[in-house]
Amino acid sequence: MDILYLLVPLSVALVFLIGAVLWFALHSGQFDDLEGPALKILADDDRAGKSEPRL
Amino acid sequence: MNPADLIRGGREAADLCFHCGERVPPGTRYAVRAGDRWEPVCCAGCEAVASAIFQRGLADYYRLRESAGGAPQPESDDLKLYDDPAVQRAFVRRDGDGREAQLLLEGIRCPACAWLNEQVLAGQPGVLGASVNTATHVATVRWDPARARLSDILRAVREIGYRASPFDPAHARAVQRAERRSALARICVAGLGAMQVMMYAVPAYLAGEGELAADIAVLMRWASLALTLPVVCYSAWPFFAGAWRDLCTGRPGMDVPVALGIAVAFGASVAATLRGEGEVYFDSVTMFVFLLLVGRYFEILARQRAGRALRHLARLVPEFANRLRDFPRSLEPERVAAAALEAGDVVLVRPGETFPADGLVAQGFGAASEALVSGEARPVAKSPGSAVIAGSSNLSSPLIVRITRVGPETLLSSILRLADRAAAQRPRLIRLADRTASWFIGLVIALAAIAAWFWAGEDPARVVPTVVAVLVATCPCALSLSAPIALTVAVGEFARGGVVVARGGAVETLAKTSDVVFDKTGTLTHGELRLKEVLTHGAAGRERCLAVAAAIEAASEHPIGKALVAAEAGTALRAAEFRNVPGAGMEALVEGSRYRIGTLPFVREISPGPVPRREPGQDTVVWLGGESGLLASFRLGDELRREAEEALALLRSLGVRVHLLSGDGENAVREIAWRLDIPFAEAGATPQRKRQLVAELQKEGRIVAMVGDGINDAPVLAQADVSLAMIGGARLAQQRADAVIVSQDLRDLPRAVVHARRALRIVRQNIAWAFVYNLLVLPLALAGALTPWAAALGMSASSLVVGLNALRLERRPRRKTTASAAPARLAAT
Amino acid sequence: MQNNGTYNYTVVRQFTVMTVVWGLVGMLVGVLIAAQLIWPELNFDTPWLTYGRLRPLHTNAVIFAFGGSALFATSYYVVQRTCQVRLFSDGLAAFTFWGWQAVIVLAALTLPMGITSGKEYAELEWPIDILITLVWVSYAIVFFGTIARRKTQHIYVANWFFGAYILTIALLHLVNSAAVPVTFWKSYSAYAGVQDAMVQWWYGHNAVGFFLTAGFLGMMYYFIPKQAGRPIYSYRLSVVHFWALIFTYMWAGPHHLHYTALPDWTQSLGMVFSLILLAPSWGGMINGIMTLSGAWHKLRTDPILKFLIVSLSFYGMSTFEGPMMSIKTVNALSHYTDWTIGHVHSGALGWVAMVSIGCLYSLIPRLYGRTSMWSTRLIDWHFWTTTIGIVLYIAAMWIAGVMQGLMWRSTNPDGTLTYTFVEALQATHPFYIVRLCGGALVLAGMFLMIYNVRRTLQERGAHIDQPVMAPA
Repeated sequence: MDILYLLVPLSVALVFLIGAVLWFALHSGQFDDLEGPALKILADDDRAGKSEPRL
Repeated sequence: MNPADLIRGGREAADLCFHCGERVPPGTRYAVRAGDRWEPVCCAGCEAVASAIFQRGLADYYRLRESAGGAPQPESDDLKLYDDPAVQRAFVRRDGDGREAQLLLEGIRCPACAWLNEQVLAGQPGVLGASVNTATHVATVRWDPARARLSDILRAVREIGYRASPFDPAHARAVQRAERRSALARICVAGLGAMQVMMYAVPAYLAGEGELAADIAVLMRWASLALTLPVVCYSAWPFFAGAWRDLCTGRPGMDVPVALGIAVAFGASVAATLRGEGEVYFDSVTMFVFLLLVGRYFEILARQRAGRALRHLARLVPEFANRLRDFPRSLEPERVAAAALEAGDVVLVRPGETFPADGLVAQGFGAASEALVSGEARPVAKSPGSAVIAGSSNLSSPLIVRITRVGPETLLSSILRLADRAAAQRPRLIRLADRTASWFIGLVIALAAIAAWFWAGEDPARVVPTVVAVLVATCPCALSLSAPIALTVAVGEFARGGVVVARGGAVETLAKTSDVVFDKTGTLTHGELRLKEVLTHGAAGRERCLAVAAAIEAASEHPIGKALVAAEAGTALRAAEFRNVPGAGMEALVEGSRYRIGTLPFVREISPGPVPRREPGQDTVVWLGGESGLLASFRLGDELRREAEEALALLRSLGVRVHLLSGDGENAVREIAWRLDIPFAEAGATPQRKRQLVAELQKEGRIVAMVGDGINDAPVLAQADVSLAMIGGARLAQQRADAVIVSQDLRDLPRAVVHARRALRIVRQNIAWAFVYNLLVLPLALAGALTPWAAALGMSASSLVVGLNALRLERRPRRKTTASAAPARLAAT
Repeated sequence: MQNNGTYNYTVVRQFTVMTVVWGLVGMLVGVLIAAQLIWPELNFDTPWLTYGRLRPLHTNAVIFAFGGSALFATSYYVVQRTCQVRLFSDGLAAFTFWGWQAVIVLAALTLPMGITSGKEYAELEWPIDILITLVWVSYAIVFFGTIARRKTQHIYVANWFFGAYILTIALLHLVNSAAVPVTFWKSYSAYAGVQDAMVQWWYGHNAVGFFLTAGFLGMMYYFIPKQAGRPIYSYRLSVVHFWALIFTYMWAGPHHLHYTALPDWTQSLGMVFSLILLAPSWGGMINGIMTLSGAWHKLRTDPILKFLIVSLSFYGMSTFEGPMMSIKTVNALSHYTDWTIGHVHSGALGWVAMVSIGCLYSLIPRLYGRTSMWSTRLIDWHFWTTTIGIVLYIAAMWIAGVMQGLMWRSTNPDGTLTYTFVEALQATHPFYIVRLCGGALVLAGMFLMIYNVRRTLQERGAHIDQPVMAPA
């Protein structure tokens, strides 16, 4: 199972990467508001006929 | 007595506490090392603080306190800014000659920390009083501005290793967010680490004998080590910091065994990995840290949620307002910080926005939702002259508001302060749990040491797992959390139901209440006159008579006049040439004819004709007459609150006896008692008599809750076990009751009793659960029957049970406020 | 008014149209090879029409051509709309389109010719692998570049799913396709024996997890709320769903190799993690379906929502079935039987195809300046043919698989096998016919779709690119 010498360090590196991304996301306030974003995509009206953006 | 005198050689004062100057009780053996000699102190607390202060090299603190004027210290930061009156205006309240402010303390980790801060704050020269809320980390400080500066108070806190900053909503929000973020980050790191380390550990558990190649096992260990390192160094940091602080103050909290357990298990595992032999516990360590952090996170959530009475209100005050500088000449708004508003400013509040301060509507008609402030679910109509409350939201149309009170003077702030004052006093139950936990921790550490010693002789390989299991499994986290979480959640729920708890023990006492005493008829009635009956005596009909009466009284400030105006349908007759005869009535011209309204003799002066018979009664009767004769008589009286009957029925169904002790006359009291079916009623009772009656009830072993207006009957309220006030508005700030029914809805009283009972039941369940769990698991761990990871799981599960059990208090059938809060929330987004 | 330019809809339209085309092609091949299992003579004795060569063509066409194009189209659309900014680079975006189409055409040419590396779901030879790498790196640059330039503070959860899928596929592709070229059209894997199997199924499993799950969940998290006109049931849950899913999926791979030369503990590990996977998967499914709570009536009138919601039900079903099949005792019965084929198709047709089709129906009118598709009735027809087709398909395969497993393992008292392999095959014959019918129904639905799309495109007015929304 020599392949584990590749996969295990790879997994450690990946966990650190995921951790880093999570860290960045957390501290840049990505998770501060966990209700608003769900509504915001609905406010973006992309139906046809609305060629003028709403202000 | 100044403690520093002791150092200077006040030998004769050797029986006074070195730290607080109190007399040292005979037989006490506490002492602290000051410089090169031991000084007596009065208690463990003083010993802890004094030694902590010495350990931090702050012995100067005592020296500086000695020199009466206070030797000036070099200013190292911007604390002095807070002495600026303009800055203070935002968060400091005048209280007589003193000042009162709320300070947010960062770095509080345990009741001992809160206590230490309280001591330091209270010990500052010029500070009149200080209390620290363990749940919300808010300190309430009162000081004499002539003798102390706020910057000195803030610095004193900073000097013992904490940070104090003025509590204002925006800042609190930021601090709270930072706290949540960092807690989440620690959880995520620990969670990722735990999962992944588990990946590497599971093979060792799954693999049969010889299946897992030795080199792979070594590889897995190193990978585990790499992942555990950040978990221990970063995620577990709060435990180490907390443990260190506990050791410094000499009061072992639950961080001590936790930190010890983590350190032992991690250290042993690292050693085993380096040596290439022996057991590793990386999976247990990471999982333990993760579960513990999750438990703490729940605690944070519960605290923040409970503080929602505080927080969601505070959050409601907008940061900006639209000020109309040139009102009424121009309606051009300018954006200003809400904190910069002053009384007298005029602001525009659009629909969906929140009122930035208390004020009166100057222009516009609409409705506001005050549900979150007062618990009143229905929209409240607003028209020019209506009062609006900071934190309530404008529902329908734009309103222009003239501000009357800002910042700490607002109703909202009064409520917040009440709520906070309550949480700052730790109820008996929590003190008990804390003391027990503290004692238990000492025992656990001692037992762990004994177990280590025992197993070292028996089977050295089991020393580490057993010690770790004992430390981890028996950590009395659940015990320390049991009461505070439940009570904090309960207080938050109370506030959402329109009852603000102003004293810590109120929930506990309310739950045990067996008798409710209403100390006023006014509590059961509206407290204002209402038109009950109109009798016409002439040709004019009922409507016509009312219209004339209302026209005459249109500008009246008299309660009778107001009641008449309120009862009128709005035919809008106009009157002229008013003449007010105090004590008799009003005279005016309506459509060219002269009318009088008031006492019978006064009206008779212009109205000829016979006088109708009238039945005697305790209600007020006023007469209306014109030059042609008597027209009508109006019967006015105080009406029962619509919900009073239901509220009392609910109370009775809870097995609570209801009493009415009133200073009012026999007739009024008898009528109310009869209509509400109150068996124990006494009229004409003086405050002394009321106190005596309450005391008699208590002598029978009854627990008495007193309901009044909270202001005038202080001695009676003080005699009762728990007191509630039914008041709102500006008088809130002056009240002295244990709890305030802000909603002004009597039904909230039985609801509060029900809720308090549930809370108490849950506290008891929690304490019982924590005790039973710890007692059961201790022998198992000592016997070495528990693996470290099982211990971690058990400990976390028991804390989680306690936390979730407390959160059950939040779910309750009544959805009065949540339903009305929904539109407000939508409007905000 | 501040002019923010327009969104880049060109590349989205290109990918969208090609999704429909490749869907049709891939399923057509699928129906052909299903028929070949019943009537072997359908290979016309032509080597490049044999089952062995067409089967990888089918999988590549539906997964990478159909699914891949759908992912490109929706991710480019969603990232622009939710970040409120035009794509990072029009040139690179165009390159990803033409490059990806080239990969597909090359695959369609080389696979029937028998040019293959022999690794499942990664059959393409090394020169094509290099082209894939180039396209994928460009894709990542365009996608993450757009996110970096976003005008909104928050990164919508769909973009997290898309981002994870793009990054992970890059990593998987690089590790798994590492090979030693011998000639221009032949290479050997860099790994040998059981190592290769381990890497291959680490790849194979995660291709399912990140390509066929995470990417399509990204679609789901955008288009279900949009189509239902309601916010996602719990945004908080969707964030938790994301992190839990990407973290657990990575390590469940070994369950594809139960009862092989792989060490026992590795297999058990794969099983444990597969079971854990159930939690985030179902969390996501419930989150998507509950978005409609309080608006269930919309399902009656909107066939697009039907597609989306039914696709989630299939997602829930197959993510339940998957972990069950990874339990070693169950796997002992199911492995190598048609049950596995049924499971794959309940995921690939029920989840991936249906969610993609739903999203396309929702997307196409928006892209071509129309308020709706040419015919809503046809969408409804498409929905029913697809649903019935899939149910026929997976039911047939499920029964056939269990039957095969039981027949293969049954022994006589003396230890000999009760049934020969051919007996089991004969018993399967009727189920193959049912499966073919199911597949043909699904294919028929695709014809309805392509007709509907064609009419919609013909009827369109001036399809201007939408201006970028001014940041709120």
